[in-house]
Amino acid sequence: MIQRLLNNREFILFSVLCLLFAGFSMTTEYFLNLDSLLSYSRYWVAPGMLAVPMTFIIATAGIDLSVGSIVAMCGIILGVLYRDYQWPIAAACAAAILSGTAAGAVNGGVSSWFRIPPLVVTLATMTLFRGVAFGLSKADAISNFPPGFKLLGNGDLFSFTLNGSPVFVPIALGALLLTMIIGGIILRNTWMGRYTLALGENPVAARYGAIPVRGLTLGIYTACGCVCGVASLFYTAVYGTARADAAMGLELEAIAAVVIGGTRISGGQASVVGTLLGLLIIGILKYGLDLSGVRSQYVVIIVGVLLIVTAVFNEWMARRAGESK
Amino acid sequence: MSQTLLQLTSIDKCFGGVVALREARLHVRAGEVLGLVGENGAGKSTLINIATGLFPPDSGVMLLEGETVSFANTRQAADAGVMVVHQEADLFAQLSIAENMLLGRGLERGPGGLINWRKTNATAEGLVADLGEQFNVTQDAGSLTVARRTMAEIAAAVSTAPKVLFLDEPTASLTVKEIENLFSQIERLKAAGVGIVYVSHRLDEILTLCDRVTMMRDGATIETRKKADLTMDTIVSTMVGREMATTNAKRTVPIGDVRVDIDGITAKDGSFSDISFQVRAGEIVGLYGFVGAGRSEFAQALFGIQKPAKGRVTIDGVPLKMQSPRKAVAQGLAYLPEDRLVQAVFREHALRSNASVTLLPKLSTATVIGSRKEHALADKIITEMNVKAASMEQPIGTLSGGNQQKVIFGRWAATEPKVLILDEPTRGVDVGAKAEIHKLICDLAETGTAIILISSELPEVMAMSDRVVTLSEGQVTGEFDPQSDDEATIAAAAVPRSTEKAAAAISPLKRGIARALQMRELGLIVFIALLGGYMSITAPDTFANTGNFLDILKNAAIPAIMAQGAMLIICAGGIDISVGSMMGLVGAFAALAVKAGMPAPVCLALAMAMGISFSLANGGLSLVARIHPIIVTLAGLSIYRGVMRIVMDGKEIMFLPDGYRALADGAWLGIPKVCYYVVVVTALTHVLVRYTLLGRQVLALGNSESAARLIGLSKTKLTLFVFGCSGALVGLCAVLNAAYYGKVQANTGVGIELQAIAACVIGGTNILGGRGSALGTLLGALLVALLYNSLVLLEASSYWQNIFVGGLILAAVIVDALVQRLRGAGA
Repeated sequence: MIQRLLNNREFILFSVLCLLFAGFSMTTEYFLNLDSLLSYSRYWVAPGMLAVPMTFIIATAGIDLSVGSIVAMCGIILGVLYRDYQWPIAAACAAAILSGTAAGAVNGGVSSWFRIPPLVVTLATMTLFRGVAFGLSKADAISNFPPGFKLLGNGDLFSFTLNGSPVFVPIALGALLLTMIIGGIILRNTWMGRYTLALGENPVAARYGAIPVRGLTLGIYTACGCVCGVASLFYTAVYGTARADAAMGLELEAIAAVVIGGTRISGGQASVVGTLLGLLIIGILKYGLDLSGVRSQYVVIIVGVLLIVTAVFNEWMARRAGESK
Repeated sequence: MSQTLLQLTSIDKCFGGVVALREARLHVRAGEVLGLVGENGAGKSTLINIATGLFPPDSGVMLLEGETVSFANTRQAADAGVMVVHQEADLFAQLSIAENMLLGRGLERGPGGLINWRKTNATAEGLVADLGEQFNVTQDAGSLTVARRTMAEIAAAVSTAPKVLFLDEPTASLTVKEIENLFSQIERLKAAGVGIVYVSHRLDEILTLCDRVTMMRDGATIETRKKADLTMDTIVSTMVGREMATTNAKRTVPIGDVRVDIDGITAKDGSFSDISFQVRAGEIVGLYGFVGAGRSEFAQALFGIQKPAKGRVTIDGVPLKMQSPRKAVAQGLAYLPEDRLVQAVFREHALRSNASVTLLPKLSTATVIGSRKEHALADKIITEMNVKAASMEQPIGTLSGGNQQKVIFGRWAATEPKVLILDEPTRGVDVGAKAEIHKLICDLAETGTAIILISSELPEVMAMSDRVVTLSEGQVTGEFDPQSDDEATIAAAAVPRSTEKAAAAISPLKRGIARALQMRELGLIVFIALLGGYMSITAPDTFANTGNFLDILKNAAIPAIMAQGAMLIICAGGIDISVGSMMGLVGAFAALAVKAGMPAPVCLALAMAMGISFSLANGGLSLVARIHPIIVTLAGLSIYRGVMRIVMDGKEIMFLPDGYRALADGAWLGIPKVCYYVVVVTALTHVLVRYTLLGRQVLALGNSESAARLIGLSKTKLTLFVFGCSGALVGLCAVLNAAYYGKVQANTGVGIELQAIAACVIGGTNILGGRGSALGTLLGALLVALLYNSLVLLEASSYWQNIFVGGLILAAVIVDALVQRLRGAGA
């Protein structure tokens, strides 16, 4: 029984989360304030959204390093169209999502068509899309978005009262959860998700099993670009400005959430619930450290170390499981 | 009686429960050719692999010249004089054929241990000429025909003066002329006292060449006889003569109309040609032939894996689109592939998902899989196929081979195919499961499915088929009725004979394009000259002056040095995207050290030591954890930058002492100092990758890990070496950069890893490893710097610079992929 619980990734992650929670609430003042925690959660929305398609990508044994750059590029496209070309904000948002989708299609198309590893393609497009962001904006920050748009960032879905004080649930958090739920259902319950896992487990057998490997790869990366477009709206709204150097390192946070969540880098096994828990661990860690006055530099280091440690741990677990068979 | 060289007795070997060898024996004498024959799966390859040290036997004794030996790896076996030439050589495709031949023994080296290429090529040419062959040994091995590769490999093996030489199907791809040359060489070796083990399906060759023949069946050596006591018939009957399967499952099924009509289908690569036959509803047609007869290739062509060059196939009168498996399945074709583990099974996934994978869209409503439907399907397969499993959630990898095969069979039967191709459906399956699979095949035929049964087990083909088509050397050699024709007649038709094989043609245009694109250095120089010329005309005042040229050189310097390190890592098959951050961090530490009063040379040494240790940590972690370096270095990218920010505490490190700055700032003889470093580093890496054995070994590792292991190279050692080199260069650049600019800032080194990688791939380094050039990398770095400079002068906003780095990397790798594809068509 204990053995089985220890082999259950979600259980381990949940325990770690509880420990973190307990630790911070004992050591850090103001940590146990649900309203401020939820308010802080806005900052997880963009990396969290990216982590969902990233789960699919890593499940196929691929990787996408360009997600942060796509978010920045979409934000700039949104800002430039709204400010310089006076597009209605809704149309500018749609254009941002479309550009993200197109960027994702470039990643998926080049890597599936020319059979170049996605690592190489997205490493190049990471610079390419960032370059587009810088070129379009001339490194100028764009702000003064209309209040309706800003609601995406600072608006609240609903509020309730807990122990006499009001608690507000941000719209952005709702959107993140919705993305997670949709992603989770697609991965667990649809043939698209099943194909994704099959492709990562054994690409040759996937082809012989009549799975449309090229189309699937293209689809996954395109969907990832689309989610990046959506995430850029929330990112821009939360921070109030669109900047070409925005969302730097977002790919690291997304990949870390996925890997901590138990998705194997070598593909074939993935869980969106795991990714959610991975995201919560990183989020709580950042929030707690922030409150404790730890500087953000340390947090970056901690996320990086966490990524390496769990990647090593995952492979070790998988190998042990393979040997015990 | 001649002297015994190699003797193997009572050799047993199991692979995960499947018996590959039972009490196998082999007795090789000096100065004789011993033939080794048997059906596919009889255990010949396993026996060879054990004798040549690829893996140890489970039990048994091996004697070499009367002394007990056990080889830990192929290297030891080769050193002891036991060599093998494999059928499909695993080689270093991007290295020259001469290098492939001689790398294992350290190439020809001159003074200082540097490789003498002229001598190496001459030696290789001489070896090839000894075999009566003549071809350019400086070509990439990947661009050579299979025949020539085989000849080169035989030549290389012969040159080491082996005591025992195993030749595994050496003539499979050779022409008659080449076979003659090979045979005279074998006669020569025999006269010199070498013991030769000759493995072949071509019995005519065995009978011409061999003194004795050992026959194997089902993992056991049945008997060894002198040539004089043998005829083709006796060999065939010993090879296939196992007792007939006791469960004769074949039932007579009414045969209907023609379901599949195959008309003149021919492969692009020449593996089969002009195959035509028909299969009717309910009929089972056995397709019998040996490995290399083109059976699987034929099936894969029909299934849309590999497009055929010509030919037509119709299913129920509708032309079959041979484009993708998905389209084939949609038209009612199913294919149970030959290699279950590689081509069929999702090992760690549940039995349930393995069973349902071909039917998922049909089990779904609005893409959501109907859980109940899926369970029902899995249940049905488990019951009907009599799969023995604890539950349908059990990972399929934990089932026995036979049960796995039943699940895969069920997966395809569930698609209710019109035509089903079974490729070795009972290979590696125990007797009970075999009988059950035979029964299932008949059940399916009863429903009107047309079945093509590919097997190299003649009794199975005889028992199961209504009709047998034999295939040899890619061509249909006969059609038989298993009721009236006997085994020997059918086997004789399938036995391959030495035939003239047409080499696959490659269009000269394609080859020309591929070759032109490969002359990367020249192309880069031309491109740089053109861009320079254009700039001199458009911006004569600002561009074409010494000051600006020196600027370009200075800007190219640091990325050029970093790129040499990146090139080495990429050549070995790795990547490091953390070098920019690493450079920043090391630079900060070194700057703090020098400000604390440490002498400049000590700081430089310290910086290089730090660079080496960080880089070794990157390389070492990815080796130990066996995870891709991208993950480790992606994390490293953030970690190093984070540590750097903490160390610098939000301030710049400025006012570095003059003694330190003198390391890089300023000029010697009117040329910026940094340029000298570039020249020295480029020269050193050039010598390393071009003229040292270590450098060639790095390239070999990047070409093929498995082939590198075969010649005894250590992945760990070579990987750590390249990461160490890169680290040293990072340390050097960190100091040079700080000395040159006189300060270290929080963003020092940001993005430089991409410039370095861009310089590599533009310069012709294969991003997947195995090929790289120091000069090309230098030119790549110059081109990037020149482009930047031009953009600034043309007053295009400098903000667009990043696009060019990214775009150049993408363009370079796409060009490489296209070149590979063009060349691939020729190989």
